[in-house]
Amino acid sequence: MSVLALLATAMALYCFGAVGSLLLRRWERAATFVAGVSAALAGGLGVVGALQVLIDGTGPSFSAPGPFPFASFTIRVDPLAALLVLVISLVTVAATVFSLSYLRDYYGRGVGVMGFFLNLFIAAMIMVAIADNGFYFLLFWEMMTMTSYFLVIFNQDREAVDAGFLYFFVTQSFSMLLMVAFLLLFMRSGSLDFAAFRAEKLPTWLASIIFLLTFFGFGAKAGMVPLHIWLPRAHPASPSHASALMSGVMVKLGIYGIIRVAVDFLGASVAWWGWIVLAFGAMSAVLGVLYALAEHDIKRLLAYHTVENIGIILMGTGVGMVGIATGKPILASIGLLAALYHTLNHAVFKGLLFLGAGALTYATQTRNMAMMGGLARRMSWTASFFLVGALSIAAIPPLNGFVSEWLTYQAFFTASTGPDFTSRLFGPLAAVMLAITGALAVMCFVKAWGLMFGGAARSQAAAEAGEVPVTMLAGMGGLALLCIVFGLGAPVIAPILSRAVGALLRAGSVKVADGILIFPGDPHQAVLSTPLMAALMICLLAVPLLIAAIHRGHRVAPRIVPEAWACGYDHDAQMTVSAGGFVEPPGFMFRGLYWLRTIQGPAAEVLDGSVTVATHAAGIVEPVWDEMAVGGSTRSVRFLGRYLQAMEGGDLRVYCLYILAALGVLLIIEAR
Amino acid sequence: MFNFQTWAGAMSQTDLLFCVGLGQALLLLLAAPLFSGISRVLRAKFHSRRGPGIWQDYRDLLKLLNRREVIPAEAGIVFRATPYVMFVAMLIVAMAIPALMDHSPVPPMGDLVSIIFLFAMVRFFYSLSGIDSGSMFAGVAASRETTMGVLNEPIMVLSLFTVASMAGSTDLGTVAANIRAGAMPSYAATLMAMLAFGFAIFVEMGKLPFDLVEAEQELQEGPLTEYSGRSLGLMKWGVALKQIVALSLFIGVFLPFGGGGSLTWLAVGVAVLVLLAKLLVAFVAIAFVENTMARNQFLDVSRITFIGAGAAMLAFALSLAGV
Repeated sequence: MSVLALLATAMALYCFGAVGSLLLRRWERAATFVAGVSAALAGGLGVVGALQVLIDGTGPSFSAPGPFPFASFTIRVDPLAALLVLVISLVTVAATVFSLSYLRDYYGRGVGVMGFFLNLFIAAMIMVAIADNGFYFLLFWEMMTMTSYFLVIFNQDREAVDAGFLYFFVTQSFSMLLMVAFLLLFMRSGSLDFAAFRAEKLPTWLASIIFLLTFFGFGAKAGMVPLHIWLPRAHPASPSHASALMSGVMVKLGIYGIIRVAVDFLGASVAWWGWIVLAFGAMSAVLGVLYALAEHDIKRLLAYHTVENIGIILMGTGVGMVGIATGKPILASIGLLAALYHTLNHAVFKGLLFLGAGALTYATQTRNMAMMGGLARRMSWTASFFLVGALSIAAIPPLNGFVSEWLTYQAFFTASTGPDFTSRLFGPLAAVMLAITGALAVMCFVKAWGLMFGGAARSQAAAEAGEVPVTMLAGMGGLALLCIVFGLGAPVIAPILSRAVGALLRAGSVKVADGILIFPGDPHQAVLSTPLMAALMICLLAVPLLIAAIHRGHRVAPRIVPEAWACGYDHDAQMTVSAGGFVEPPGFMFRGLYWLRTIQGPAAEVLDGSVTVATHAAGIVEPVWDEMAVGGSTRSVRFLGRYLQAMEGGDLRVYCLYILAALGVLLIIEAR
Repeated sequence: MFNFQTWAGAMSQTDLLFCVGLGQALLLLLAAPLFSGISRVLRAKFHSRRGPGIWQDYRDLLKLLNRREVIPAEAGIVFRATPYVMFVAMLIVAMAIPALMDHSPVPPMGDLVSIIFLFAMVRFFYSLSGIDSGSMFAGVAASRETTMGVLNEPIMVLSLFTVASMAGSTDLGTVAANIRAGAMPSYAATLMAMLAFGFAIFVEMGKLPFDLVEAEQELQEGPLTEYSGRSLGLMKWGVALKQIVALSLFIGVFLPFGGGGSLTWLAVGVAVLVLLAKLLVAFVAIAFVENTMARNQFLDVSRITFIGAGAAMLAFALSLAGV
């Protein structure tokens, strides 16, 4: 099957799943099954198609006139789009398989409708990635926002509705910027086709305006600081498999948009664009992880980590754009390669972590980490998968998060060795920001895993929790496996992505791998081999095992004492470190940066307040029209009616009088 | 001269270097309790005590490894796995650093980013084991350990990035070779980076004012609270290994003098002696610093680490200025 046929079949399956789920909404089990299985199959087809394009290094395109004379329906699956399709499809497969059992929690609350919106949401995301026409891009972009809005407000409680409103408000208002930017491009090129945008040579000032418009327009969707305020509210509000798709995948389309416009259309021709992307990325990374640290709600914590990882991706993108602008092809390639690799990796581990959070809420009915504890013994598979995800996101070697952060560091290093003073200044500083981010992420996931899975149970629900059903484990396990594969398989994956970057830059791809080694363009700068590292880790495990085995300690089974030592007092679960206590030192040391958030809180409130004022004002303004257009006539009718009513007294004699009067009037008329 | 090439026959240069790396890791592993013993003796001398003798840590380890374990019922898989993870991660770093040779024996892991993340791996599991044990002391210690990482990692990254950008490679072996050859463009920056990185290593080793290794329930050994028997033995050995590996990393990169340049038995043998001598000097110097310092309140630690961060920034500024 050709790539286009695969994608078309996938689209048909998504639509089938959506409609089928809606039609079967009275039979919730069947609706869940239809929606989940068709989306999982479609996801599988998407993976096959995307891999075909990525491995070939080139993809097909398709164009039809479409119903509108000003825009032809064009699709183009270039390697960048294929990577996004791959990301969407991989997480889709895992999340929908997971949903087959997970949705039992939602029976009786409209699962069929959820399946409808979820399938359309995924289809819209894929169409955004492959659309090659400005009009259709925006159309599908809006469709993606609409459908995900319904997923956010699905719980219908106050939190969800508020979050949905904020989400809708922020993304809608910023997608206006995209429309303006596309219109500007349209005015210059006379066509809405991306091919025309690409061919257009713009003056620098106009290109800069378009860059800024699209950077903030897409950045709001990506959730970069300071446009992220909707993200930590909206992502946790939706059901977990939808959160996995929103947090793991949807935000990536913001990144995709930035790369598509700034690099592909505008050619990243000005260096300060790259520095701006890098600066916002660094800010998002550090603040995102700091705020994540202070969260006790596992899904909010993960949502803030999305802000952080978007920051890391933006840092890679930014330094790559600087490379393009300053004419350093290796820096350009490595920066963008790091960004794309992290895009793929973040989707996988964040999808896994959100599914893990879903499994935990399924088992304990709470999202508060302080109410969990000790779950590793009762949910050992979930605990192991979550640990893999936590290690990946904390960039622990040799897993996938480490590989892409390594590449990001190498891109910064490449920047800091050139003759250009600005690069030499900001390259190492960016690396320092990334180091702070990495260390804070370690702390954050030590806290998250430790409080949820380690130690003693802190609530009745946690003490009675059991392992989740097998389809949920399959969804998580698949992604956990991918975390390992994308880590150890770096020497295979990096060249494929490097080729995608080469196609994007319309230049030859930079050689980044040789045998089991990967290197940032130049093997003298650094080499890394995750497969070798993993092999050595397994071999060296023999050393401590041997030391343990030749001593007597193992011959006696360990004595299990009921509780940890508490200086002679009775041990109590309340004594162990609390979520707040654990993060108190950084809270103290970085209080200045938390202060930023406390002033941002009011900013969100002001926004909320202004929205309330606006709706109130609309409530006042809207009836005015009513009053003027309809009000007059209704009032006169009512006025007449009141007099007519007075005439109908209900007295028989009066009615007789009316008849006589009428007869009299008729006689007079007739007599004339 | 009899050399490795004739001994190993068909083995390639890479394989030989790999063997040197393995040998280096084993050397550091076996020497770790000796140097932690020396530290204890030196501290005793500063306290005007006789002290336990330099071989005491071997005896302690042997005793612990033969003891039965006592494990709290709440402790989980991470608690049990951590001693092994710690060993593995530190042995890999021990293989990768340019300690015996003037370049990294296993270059695919001798990159500064990889090494820093391997240290982060140890920190991750070490702290997590503390929380996983369900002990209240260990939980607080885990928080402190990870906080130290947040304060310390940026210093390590910036100081190493500074020297690496002057050497043109993030491979620590190449950096060491450049320093050894005197090919660094700015000596002042190299010296400053050395001070900053030395500071970071001092913190990473868990020395005063950041810790007192012999006292339990403190920063460094806090997560050990619930360990006992064989696991405690492995953990203590792992901590000692981490200290000696961190110090060898510093010595290998910033003081790469006197080591072996060629792959002959004699050169490697001399390099082993030189490395041990340098480690001894470094441990004595550290004992001086450590035992003349007071302990600080934990929340004030960020103010002290600003010194290190400042030194690293200064090194970076000097390298930018090129003086």
